[in-house]
Amino acid sequence: MTTWESVQEFLLEPTTWSGPDSIWVRLGEHIWVSVAAVIIAGLLVLPLAVWLGHIRRGSAVATAVVNIGRAVPSFGILAIAFLVLVQMGAGVGEPWAVLVALIALAAPPMFTNTVAGIQAVEPATIESARGMGLTEREVLTGVELPLSAPLMMEGVRIAFVQVIATATLGALVAWGGLGRYIVDGFARQDMGRLIVGAVLVGLLAIAAELGLSAMQRGTTPPGIRPDR
Amino acid sequence: MRKPFRARAVGAILGLALVAAACGSGDGAEEGTPPEGDPIRVASFNFNESVIVAEIYAQGLEANGYTVERQLNLGNREVVKPALEGGEIDLVPEYTGSLGGFLEVEQSSEQDTMWESARAAFEELGVTLLAYSPAQDKNAYVVTGETAEEFSLASVSDLQPVAGELIFGGPPECPERPLCLPGLEEVYGLEFAEFVPLDAGGPITVAALEGGEIDVGLLFTTSGVIAANEWVSLDDDMGLNPAENIVPAIRTEVVEAYGDDLVALLDSYSEALTTEDLTAMNARADLDQEDPALIAEEWLTTNGFLE
Repeated sequence: MTTWESVQEFLLEPTTWSGPDSIWVRLGEHIWVSVAAVIIAGLLVLPLAVWLGHIRRGSAVATAVVNIGRAVPSFGILAIAFLVLVQMGAGVGEPWAVLVALIALAAPPMFTNTVAGIQAVEPATIESARGMGLTEREVLTGVELPLSAPLMMEGVRIAFVQVIATATLGALVAWGGLGRYIVDGFARQDMGRLIVGAVLVGLLAIAAELGLSAMQRGTTPPGIRPDR
Repeated sequence: MRKPFRARAVGAILGLALVAAACGSGDGAEEGTPPEGDPIRVASFNFNESVIVAEIYAQGLEANGYTVERQLNLGNREVVKPALEGGEIDLVPEYTGSLGGFLEVEQSSEQDTMWESARAAFEELGVTLLAYSPAQDKNAYVVTGETAEEFSLASVSDLQPVAGELIFGGPPECPERPLCLPGLEEVYGLEFAEFVPLDAGGPITVAALEGGEIDVGLLFTTSGVIAANEWVSLDDDMGLNPAENIVPAIRTEVVEAYGDDLVALLDSYSEALTTEDLTAMNARADLDQEDPALIAEEWLTTNGFLE
C-alpha cells in the first residue's frame, strides 16, 4: 500500500470523522489545552515581567529565563509531571501533566519579550510622559504597554506556536490531542494516520501563526507602525 | 541448525556435554585471547524485562572478552526488527510468539513448534534465532481484585457477558496486534466498550488500572505489579497466546563472524533463565526502581556466570 493510499484509507474510515477518536475531538482537545496553557502561563509571568520592565531591571533575569526555558526538555517535564500528578491522585488520560509541561514551555518567551519590549521604549518618551504630569500607572498603561504591545504579542505568538507543536507529546502519556494520531500511527505502522496527524498539527500551527501575526499588527499603535 | 533446549533434554548425556562445552568455551575466552571482530551491538525493547535480559547478554559477553555496545530501550518491535534486519543492531532478546506473529507465521502454544516457525521465517531475513530459554512472558489480561469479584472473572472467557461494559487499555499498537484486540475479538468474541491507548505494560497502564480509568489492562504474565497489587491475571483458557519463550535474536553475519563460542555463551544464559527469575527481576525493576544493569549483574553472579 502506498503512503497516499494509506492516507486515503484513514480519511475514509468513519471513526476518523465521528466518535471519541475523531479529528474533531482530537482537534478540540489540542486547541483547548494549547490556549489554556498560553493563558495560564501569561497570567503567571506577565505581571512580574511588566513590573520588571517598568522599573527597568531584570534584563539579565529575562535572558537567563529564556535560556533555561530553551534548555529544559518539555518531554522531561511531562514525564515527571505525569508521575507526580498520578501519585497525587490525578487520573491517567487527564490533561494536567500536559498542561504543566506546556505552561513551562510557553512562559519563557512571553516573559522575556515583555521585559524586553517595555525596556525598549525610548527613555526620552517616558521622561516626556512624566514631564507632562502622567502618574507612574499612566506611564505604564498609556505609554509603555501600548508601545511594547507588538513585542509582547510576538512573545505570545512564539509561545503559542511552540505549544501547538509540543502538545503532541501528550499522547505519550495517554492524553489525547492530535499527537494521538502521530503516536498511534507510529506504533501501528499506520502511515496514513501518522501523516494526517502531523499535517493537522502543522496546519494548526500555521493558522495560529497567521492569526496572531494579524493580532500583532492590530495591537501596534498607529504611531509606530512600519507602514504608516 | 541448533535445537531448542527441550529437544536437547531428551538426551541427557548430550545435554550435559553441551553445557560442559558452553562453560568450557566461556572459561577459555576469559583466560586466553579476546574474541576479535566488530563490537556486538546489544539492543532491547522499551520495557524493563527486555532491558534486563539484554543486560545479561551484554555483561556476559563483556566478561568473556567481547566488545559490546548497548542500544537499550530502543523502542517497540516496529522499531527493533527493522534495526536488526538493517544491521543497525546485532542482538536482541526476542519472544518467539510475538515475533512469529510479527513475521506472520502460524501461532502455536507448543514451544518447539513456535520457535521453529519463527526461526525459519527470521532466517530468511538474515537473523538467527538461537536456542530458546524455558523462560516465557506472555500477554496478560489483567483486572483488579475488585473487578474480578464484581463480575466473577477468573478466565478471559468470563469476560464474554460483560466486555461491552468494560474499558480495555493497552499499547497504542493493540488494535492492530493479533494477540491484542483483534485476537480477543476473534478467539473470545470480546468487544469492549472502549479502547484506551496507553503503553506497553508499563507505568501508564498500571496507573490507569489502579486509578480505574480502565477495567482490563494488557500487562505481561511476568509483571511484578500483578501479584504486588493482588490483581488477577485472567487465564487464557481458549489459548489465544502462543508460546512466548525468550530467545536471543542475532544477526546471522555476527554468528558467522564469532562462531560457536558466542552461540554457546548465549545458550548458557538462555538455559539458566527461568520464568520465575523474570518475574522476580521485573518486580525489583518496576516496583523498587532498581537499576536493570545491577539486577542483571546479580543474576549472572547468582547463576555462576560472573565471579
